[in-house]
Amino acid sequence: MKKNKLQILTNGIIKENPVLVLVLGTCPTLAISTQAINGIGMGACVIVVLTCSNIIISALKRIIPDTVRIPCYITVIATFVTIVQLVLKAYAPSLDKALGVYIPLIVVNCIILGRAEAFANKNSVIDSALDGIGMGLGYTLTATVMACIRELLGSGTLFGAPVTANLFSPFTILIMAPGGFFVFGCLIALVNRITKGKVKDKRANKCIGCPGAEFCSDVNKEGGCDNK
Amino acid sequence: MSLTAAFYIVLSAIITNNYVLSKFLGICPFLGVSKKLDNAMGMSVAVIIVMVIATAVTWPIQTYLLDKKGIGYMQTIVFILVIAALVQMIEIFLKKYIPSLHKALGIYLPLITTNCAVLGVCVLNIDNEYNFLQSILNAFGSGVGFTLAMFLFAGVRSKIETNDYPEAFKGIASTLVAASITSLCFLGFSGMLEKIFGM
Amino acid sequence: MADKHTNLIVSSAPHVCNPADTATIMRDVVIALIPALAVAIYVFGFRALLMTAVCAAACVFFEWAVRKIMGRENTIGDWSAVVTGVILAFNLPVNMPIWMAVIGCFIAIVVVKQIFGGLGQNFANPAIVGRIALFIGFATPMTTWAVTEKMSQAIINNAGVDAVTGATPLAMLNAGAAELPSNLEMFLGTINGSMGEISACALLIGGIYLVVRKVISPAIPVSFIATVAVLAAVMGYDPIFQVCAGGVMLGAIFMATDYVTSPITTKGRIIFGIGCGIFTMLIRAFASYPEGVSFAILLMNILTPHIDSITRSKLNGVPKKGGAEK
Repeated sequence: MKKNKLQILTNGIIKENPVLVLVLGTCPTLAISTQAINGIGMGACVIVVLTCSNIIISALKRIIPDTVRIPCYITVIATFVTIVQLVLKAYAPSLDKALGVYIPLIVVNCIILGRAEAFANKNSVIDSALDGIGMGLGYTLTATVMACIRELLGSGTLFGAPVTANLFSPFTILIMAPGGFFVFGCLIALVNRITKGKVKDKRANKCIGCPGAEFCSDVNKEGGCDNK
Repeated sequence: MSLTAAFYIVLSAIITNNYVLSKFLGICPFLGVSKKLDNAMGMSVAVIIVMVIATAVTWPIQTYLLDKKGIGYMQTIVFILVIAALVQMIEIFLKKYIPSLHKALGIYLPLITTNCAVLGVCVLNIDNEYNFLQSILNAFGSGVGFTLAMFLFAGVRSKIETNDYPEAFKGIASTLVAASITSLCFLGFSGMLEKIFGM
Repeated sequence: MADKHTNLIVSSAPHVCNPADTATIMRDVVIALIPALAVAIYVFGFRALLMTAVCAAACVFFEWAVRKIMGRENTIGDWSAVVTGVILAFNLPVNMPIWMAVIGCFIAIVVVKQIFGGLGQNFANPAIVGRIALFIGFATPMTTWAVTEKMSQAIINNAGVDAVTGATPLAMLNAGAAELPSNLEMFLGTINGSMGEISACALLIGGIYLVVRKVISPAIPVSFIATVAVLAAVMGYDPIFQVCAGGVMLGAIFMATDYVTSPITTKGRIIFGIGCGIFTMLIRAFASYPEGVSFAILLMNILTPHIDSITRSKLNGVPKKGGAEK
């Protein structure tokens, strides 16, 4: 089944949105979405790492032996994460500080490993690059929307500029841990509502975003892990 | 390091800085493997073991190898590969020498490589400039904190599993709302350890 | 709803059942809350009534609206939303902005209860979560306590420069105030604090009414209050002061006893009550918040499934493994 290029690109933004539909990469999304600018920053890092690693993995797919492919993928991903880390440290130290430990943790972000496994090692370099950009944009969009909601309601600002902060007191719990879980849950419910459960089967196969969906045998037998 | 300082590190990693419920590390297994208490506890024990061993291995590597050679920036690559190799070795070791334990924990071990809490604790120990003993204590406390969150949440999920949810909130969405309410109660303990230990 | 001819239908056991339904029980709870409301109106004035009415109305509205949106049967007739609204209002300071209180009602009814499928399916007490969310989300208004001339002289003397707001007795104790309200004042409720919490006496009357009407079992309130008293004595506080202060009475009698979120067996309920007492005192003594009742009850709500599973009575004549297991 051949998809056209545009479809590959837009796939990740809406239909297979990595965060809301595939429920991957939950940890960083929840953690950094307290400020809109963090959402964009984290999103940019994910786009870069995802696109580059997709390209390399796709290019090397005939060379990498199947049995050791996961360690190879991790090495490739970790290399790009390190590059991003160094670039941020040098040119955007404040963002580096805000995202903190979640930058190195992009390595274990299941979106990236998941795309390497599910897309890049089966498709051409150009398709893989487009997939990386699309999925990355989907991630960025979600993280930013979520961060905007939490920042606006939780601290009354948007991108650091006061919006409603002077009008009424913000509901600070939204920028704390419970607010993160709650807003994320509501966004997923919204997607469920819009798609009327059409994407549910796809999600069930993904072990509710379990990190090792690729390796796992049958941890969560009911409803999942017969993926691939 | 005094005994109180040791207790403080362990308890704050368990309660006030709980990895899952306040730092959002290890959310994936927290949501994915908490449906049944047995599975949740199996996963948790495996996480505690791997966290402590991974810290015990990565801390000396960072301090005596990477920093000495001036290649501290290799941290991410080295750590993730070490953790992946470590998990493999633990699995092989258990399979050969303690098959009963391997049977109990075996299916959880491969999942742990990409559990961000494990890599997270190794990196955070270095970032916080903990010494070796502090790092081990922090890793142990973080693992126990993960276990506590899993234990609480497994109970909640057993209770709400058969609920008649609204269509849109079926599945992961309601699980996240439940996690949100669960994480609320941890906020009540803020400031407690500082007062008890006089920090 | 009840079929007039139920007595003609052949059914399996149990055949004897209690005529009490949810609405009867919930109406009893509302009646039991009236003494505390009366004290609140006496001490804080008309606004206490207004707040209570607004919260009850908002909860009923949200219950109706969300069921309507979900296309489900209307459940406002079971009075549970009214109870949640009144109890939530009792947990708020009297001068809380109305719109914030309405947000609390939204959280209690929609987020905690209806998202999980409605009455009986929530795992945490709606009013408790509503209160905690407001407490953390709107920290300043939730800890601004009105002072009126009806209150104990000690509180009036301790009031801030504006003389209309001041610290609660617990906060005064934490801050080491020179003069505290007497135990009699604490018991009667001429103190400041959340609207419905102040009068231990009025809450106790409501509690006794509920026990007499067999709406609640005394296991949780008694074990909760006793644990607080014992721990207070052990930690060197005044037990009567600690029991009457803050939300212990309201929490123990009206919130910890919620059927849905507390254990089923008496043994489980005693464990639940003791746990509530321990965490309440731990938070009061050591955490940065002066009051810990709501956090303690929420934590025990979360632990309830585990308490239930260890205290569930074993079935007779069933092999140890298998049968009794789920």
